[in-house]
Amino acid sequence: MSQAIENTAPVAVIRPGGVLARSLVGGLLTSLPVLVVGLLILNFAPTYYTFLALGAFVNLIVVVGLQVFMGNSNIANLGHSAFVGLGAYGVAILSTPLAMKKLSIPNAPFGFATLELDPVSSALLALLAVGILALVSGKVISRLSGVAATIVSLALLIIVHSVFLNWTDLFKGNQAFFGIPKVVGLPWMMVMSVVVIVLARLFKDSRWGLQLRASAQSPQAAAALGIDARRLRLMSWVLSALICGLAGVLYAYFAGTISPKLFYFQMIFMTLAMLILGGMATVTGAVTGVIALSVGLEFIRSIESGVTIAGIQLPQLLGLSGVALGVVIVLCMAFRPSGISGRYELDELLSRFFRRTQ
Amino acid sequence: MDYALQQLLNALAFGAEYSLVALGLAVVFSIMGLVNFAHGEIIGVSAYSVFLAAALGLTSPIVAVLLAIAAAALAAIAFERVAFRPVRYAPTTTGLLTAFGVSIVVQNLFMLLISPKPQSVSILNGLNQMWFFGPFAVSSLQVMELVVSGLTILALVLFLNRSTLGLAIRAASRDFATVRLMGIRANRVIATAFAISGALAGIAAVFIIARRGSVSPDLGFSLVLKAFVACVIGGFGSLPGAAVGGMLLGFIEVGLLVALPQEYGGFKDALTYVIIVALLVYRPEGLLGQRVELGDKEI
Repeated sequence: MSQAIENTAPVAVIRPGGVLARSLVGGLLTSLPVLVVGLLILNFAPTYYTFLALGAFVNLIVVVGLQVFMGNSNIANLGHSAFVGLGAYGVAILSTPLAMKKLSIPNAPFGFATLELDPVSSALLALLAVGILALVSGKVISRLSGVAATIVSLALLIIVHSVFLNWTDLFKGNQAFFGIPKVVGLPWMMVMSVVVIVLARLFKDSRWGLQLRASAQSPQAAAALGIDARRLRLMSWVLSALICGLAGVLYAYFAGTISPKLFYFQMIFMTLAMLILGGMATVTGAVTGVIALSVGLEFIRSIESGVTIAGIQLPQLLGLSGVALGVVIVLCMAFRPSGISGRYELDELLSRFFRRTQ
Repeated sequence: MDYALQQLLNALAFGAEYSLVALGLAVVFSIMGLVNFAHGEIIGVSAYSVFLAAALGLTSPIVAVLLAIAAAALAAIAFERVAFRPVRYAPTTTGLLTAFGVSIVVQNLFMLLISPKPQSVSILNGLNQMWFFGPFAVSSLQVMELVVSGLTILALVLFLNRSTLGLAIRAASRDFATVRLMGIRANRVIATAFAISGALAGIAAVFIIARRGSVSPDLGFSLVLKAFVACVIGGFGSLPGAAVGGMLLGFIEVGLLVALPQEYGGFKDALTYVIIVALLVYRPEGLLGQRVELGDKEI
């Protein structure tokens, strides 16, 4: 503990502008590996891998969004894929061409059946909807203590999922919603990932982020210093939801087809495991976890679908990737609760490393 | 009149089941602060052991019931030993996420080792009959759920109030360190709490198998989510709160089923959760939970 104070102390004496620049540079540094991987895939990889990479980038944005709330407030959030789903369905409903809508949602209420907006304004409106839902749910969640907040975040997921499933006129229910314009490719996805990573880092290092992290460590001491933890929790909840919503928007724009089950427990399991493996205290952790688990899961999926090893055909092993995700979570929690990256961001690690070698 | 009585019985039966599962969660939480997301998989292990035993030729329903309860208690103890002991003194979030991980592992193991599809189990179907009381026809299963849950809760109360181990468990929920200073083993208290929690889950599993006649990998998951919600309404960690919260949840659900028109029936779960979240706006600490201000001394 005393070590942590010692290491963060120099940051406090740097003038305010310096802190901003420092976390900006730190955020960019953290997103560097993501950019490198993205550029490599963009230039060299076959189409199949590009598609996988797009999925991984969506996961990356979701995990960074999750980190904004979980990492700073230290409250487990198990409902974030509701916001991803709302973002995706928002743009699906607003931007799908009218000819497609006649097939998919001819009876949509509020004139949505005869509405077709351009992708950018659809995205903005979808994010607005996500923001409103986040504000309303955040009002409740920020008032509750840790465990109750987690359960309510789960309840939110179930509410939203059940609305997707049952409001068939608007969301098409259990069937896939198709015909969304495919306007997002890998370059856009990379730009958005970098923006989101920098944003998460800036929030973490901002006054609000620092105060929120302080109140998560010691509510009593933080309250004594006049920190309004509820307001800060609400703030990080909304920011986290908007980032997750953005991930949903991007997913819809690259896949062109969405269905409710994409945004349910499967996504929660996967993104949560990624964040825990990487380490939820830092943005670097979020990035590390996504890279490590995306690669690992792809490997496991290839075994899961039944492979031939040394001439022996293995049977299909449905559920293997789920077991692996769960094992990752359990082992991480038992042996390294702070994840791979621990307490320090990438730039902090590097500067510590160079200081030591000097 | 008949209809109203039938719905009342429905609500009581649902509520009793939620209470049983919620109590299991609350017993564990009150002692070691663990939010046991893997509780549903304890129900799952219990149900799958009955399925396997039936597949291997077990025919006696009584043995099946005993097996279900024993398997659940053993599974709970095993989960504690393997997964939860390393995180016993860790912060609540760590325990919660560990339990979540255990839940994913076990659910997927059912898929991997048995089948992702529901498997039929008919051994306990005999519990689900119609009983006729004069003009009234009631489901035997619902009556049993109510009676058995009531008796179980009574037994639990007696155990917690009269036996030394029960007293130790109640004391441990206040101050574990002092309980250990009195010469009571921490492992024994925690193992007992998990065994109780598992046995309650096993009883719930019996009713689930009897009602559905099949088992599937996610069979306990949604029930446990509801039980969590029941715990939150009642006040997390409070045993009477869990029982009351479960009953209330049963009444809200059946009330919505009655009140909602047929075509909106799918929104039942969503509305249930909305009502509960609205309740929490007014009482964030739950109905029977105590408002703890920062720095309050434990009484």
